[in-house]
Amino acid sequence: MTRSITALMAGVSTLALGLPAYAADDYFIGVLSAQSGYLAPYDQPSLAGFRFCVDEINADGGINGTTPIRLDVRDTRSDTAETIKAAQELLDRSVRFIVSPADGDPTTAVGQLTVDEGIPTMTFAGTAPVLTQVGEYVFGSYPADNLQATVTAQYARELGFKTAYIVKSPDAAYTMGGPEYFAEVFTREGGEIVGESLYSLNQPDFSAIVTTIKSVNPQPDVVMTSAWEPDFPAFIKALRGAGVTSQVIGSDVLDTPTIRGLGSVVDGVIHASGGFAEEGSQHADFNARFLEATGQKADNNYYVNGCDIAYMIKTAVETAGTDDPSAVRDALASIENGDGIMSDYTFAGTERMPIRSVVVARIEDGEKIFIRRTTPDAADVPAP
Amino acid sequence: MTNATADRSVNRPDRTASPFAVHGTRLALIILVVLIAALGLEAVFGRTGERIATQMCVSIAAIAALAIFSGNSGIISFGHAAFMALGAYTSGILTSPAGIQRSLLPDLPTALAGWEMSIPMANIASLLVGLLFAAITGLALLRLKDASATIATLGILIIVHSVLIGARHITKGSQTFYGQPRITTFEVALLLALVMVALAYLFRESRWGLALRAVRDDETAAETLGVNARRARAIAWILSGALAAVVGAYYGHMLGAFSPKEFYFTLTFSLVAMLVIGGLTTVSGAVGGVLVVTALQDSLRQIEGGFTISGIEVPAFFGMTTVALGLLILAVIYFRPEGLFGNRELRLPVLERALVHIAPAREAAATPQHRAPGGADLVIEGLTKTFVGLTATDDLSFTIAAGRITGLIGPNGAGKSTLVNMLTGQYAPTAGTMRYGAIKLSDVASYGIAGMGIARTFQNIRLFHRLTVRENVLVAAQAAGHRGAKAEAIVVRELTAMGLQDIVSAEASSLSYGAGRKVEIARCLAMDPAILLLDEPAAGMNPDETRELGVQLLRIAAERGVGMLLIEHDLEFVNALCTHIIVLNRGKKIAEGTPAEIGGHPAVVEAYMGRARARRDNVQLTQQEITT
Repeated sequence: MTRSITALMAGVSTLALGLPAYAADDYFIGVLSAQSGYLAPYDQPSLAGFRFCVDEINADGGINGTTPIRLDVRDTRSDTAETIKAAQELLDRSVRFIVSPADGDPTTAVGQLTVDEGIPTMTFAGTAPVLTQVGEYVFGSYPADNLQATVTAQYARELGFKTAYIVKSPDAAYTMGGPEYFAEVFTREGGEIVGESLYSLNQPDFSAIVTTIKSVNPQPDVVMTSAWEPDFPAFIKALRGAGVTSQVIGSDVLDTPTIRGLGSVVDGVIHASGGFAEEGSQHADFNARFLEATGQKADNNYYVNGCDIAYMIKTAVETAGTDDPSAVRDALASIENGDGIMSDYTFAGTERMPIRSVVVARIEDGEKIFIRRTTPDAADVPAP
Repeated sequence: MTNATADRSVNRPDRTASPFAVHGTRLALIILVVLIAALGLEAVFGRTGERIATQMCVSIAAIAALAIFSGNSGIISFGHAAFMALGAYTSGILTSPAGIQRSLLPDLPTALAGWEMSIPMANIASLLVGLLFAAITGLALLRLKDASATIATLGILIIVHSVLIGARHITKGSQTFYGQPRITTFEVALLLALVMVALAYLFRESRWGLALRAVRDDETAAETLGVNARRARAIAWILSGALAAVVGAYYGHMLGAFSPKEFYFTLTFSLVAMLVIGGLTTVSGAVGGVLVVTALQDSLRQIEGGFTISGIEVPAFFGMTTVALGLLILAVIYFRPEGLFGNRELRLPVLERALVHIAPAREAAATPQHRAPGGADLVIEGLTKTFVGLTATDDLSFTIAAGRITGLIGPNGAGKSTLVNMLTGQYAPTAGTMRYGAIKLSDVASYGIAGMGIARTFQNIRLFHRLTVRENVLVAAQAAGHRGAKAEAIVVRELTAMGLQDIVSAEASSLSYGAGRKVEIARCLAMDPAILLLDEPAAGMNPDETRELGVQLLRIAAERGVGMLLIEHDLEFVNALCTHIIVLNRGKKIAEGTPAEIGGHPAVVEAYMGRARARRDNVQLTQQEITT
């Protein structure tokens, strides 16, 4: 046994020597991205979009047109222990910036390390608003759960909906937090929550919850949930099958081709979304460029958000005028109305979770229909 | 006494090394492997290696804690991640700086808030939480066996996960919990791993560990030796759970930030995968599994992002580590279902051969004193057992006298084995009583009957097949209350008495039929029984082996005054050994008396259709021949 381990060690050291050495004339970014496991559906498109735009930046000479960006990408397998180990390796290799996976646990764990080392860190698409509380160097990039819920709750009230029923799952911060923030804003704006149900992630059968909703009299105007796949499809089919016709409102996880492909059951469903590729917009232009270059359709917002992260970092380094990590952090934290492709973003005055516009969209005939784009007032957004 | 039939296929030296010396060196060897692996990683790869080693050591500690239960009981636990979670949250809450805690967990109950405990104090708290939770869950869980117990552990995992998510004021629910100091450095993790490995090894070789391994291999047989199976499982479960909670605390201090999902299926399956790859039944296997998986995953991880070697660019292949682990598990299950390291602890044969001379085994214990005549008899009155559609024994009454060899014969289906199964508590009688002295046997739990001095063998051999011959007998000596060197000396005595001294280290599953029967008898003798119930001990033996067995049994009866009930089809054998014979047919007693009386009894002749009478004339073993 010892012999085989020695052999393996020898093999690894040979390979380690084959890796490129550190060059000082570039900007070195470490990327922690789950290529398998529960985070892969978010991290894979985020990484693809990020890489694509880093390549674009480098094609123009890099940051300031002079300093190319160099990447070291590590797979975390959606495992927090692996993520920490990989993050420490990246810090050993003197990265200047770290991009972390799209979830709170690994990002918080990485943040503890990077805050100590003073290396700015940005999560791919983590939306839990508490995520950046770990320290001054940790940034979000995507519109947070409370931001999304504020926008949909306000829209629901504007449409005149008075009562809402929420369906949430304590198994994830996202599926629990979204409906709770929604309930908070909806109530504050004069609406009433008439009931709530809990479900488990990957629960195969929603008939009990649907029966409870069906028994509410009068029927709620709105049923709100942050359920994702496969729970949302199972839920909406059971709900519509039971004849409940209440308006269903969901979160940005519904912004996928598979949800839109569910047919008539999802017709009329309203959901929040990080962005919308309006005709002639930068977003639409990105999608076209991405399709042309990779042959792959950017069919959710994580691609374009990944791209935005590349440009956010570029802007921060250029504004700071140096690659010094603390100067870059300060520059990033003070960006106001930064020019984003998915949407503009503001870090100034936030707890490093950006204020960005949130799109409200409706599904009709398998298409995502743009309703409106709002940037909520910071005072209206519930505290994390 | 000649020893013509000792198993020739297993050739071993006459003398063996002291078990204490053997286990000391084996444990030292495992510890050395862990040290070499961990320090080697650090020496060769510097900080990167140190981190890999840190994670590896925490995994080793977790697997060692898991192996205390799963390795010895054979019940795979999916619940240990739950214990780790409890430990992690307990230690996290108790050690967090008060300031951070106030902002992260504003609703934390005041009893839990602001402790800022030192790590050793928090360890004790985690240990107690684990202990308490294991004791509570054990009450329900340990009524179950095998697969149903495994499924129950899965239930524990799911329940704890849900409770942690629900207890939002204490755990932050499904959100990230952090703030506890990250104290699990390389040195801390290494020390933790070594302590856990040592505890796991010592437990495995302790009387509780050995008894549990016996229960794992054959619960019924273990109970007839006086092992309380449920208690054996409970001790391991509680210790294992408490230690897993401590390991979980260090895991939490390594992660720095976690939520309940870090302690859910992914962790559970990676623990179980490492245990299965290395081998469930040994500590070496547990450690080896972690080393192999770590070596595989961390070497592949370095290259899966793509690299250039000699100018050739190898593209990225993310997910390679997961694929490789899957293939490894498949290969291990296919080629080595017992795991890479099988059923035997890591050992250096050269060293162990040397130990025979440096630290030889103890001499045999003195033969137990001859039991005084007039000891308690085993008295059966009106004993009836009915199964649906069949009366197996019908109103049986007779006495198995102390110090006498009583024969019990009868055609197949006469009810002989049913009778023994009632006497040792495997079956409850439908009617009638069994008394041993003043005690009613039906009032005693099956494992308690052994403690009264009643031992049995089984019609189809029931050895603990993954234990060695020595361990098989040691289980009985320890269950009878003997400890340490005394128990070992008794093992030597009984193996010698049955002529098995050359095969002490052989695994029971490798024994011939005849040798297996004798180990079963030696196992009974280690309990120093007053009454020995032998269910067809000569079945499957060749004539030489049968003759030798007869010699040994008579010698034991003569030297120790043990009363025996001998069930046999071989009438020559019965006639040669027994002074008193009982004949059953179709559940009823049809005759009782001396061999001569039985031989001429018309009902017996009828039952055997004359065969008995014909054979009696050819009896070759005589009382006189044997005792000379």
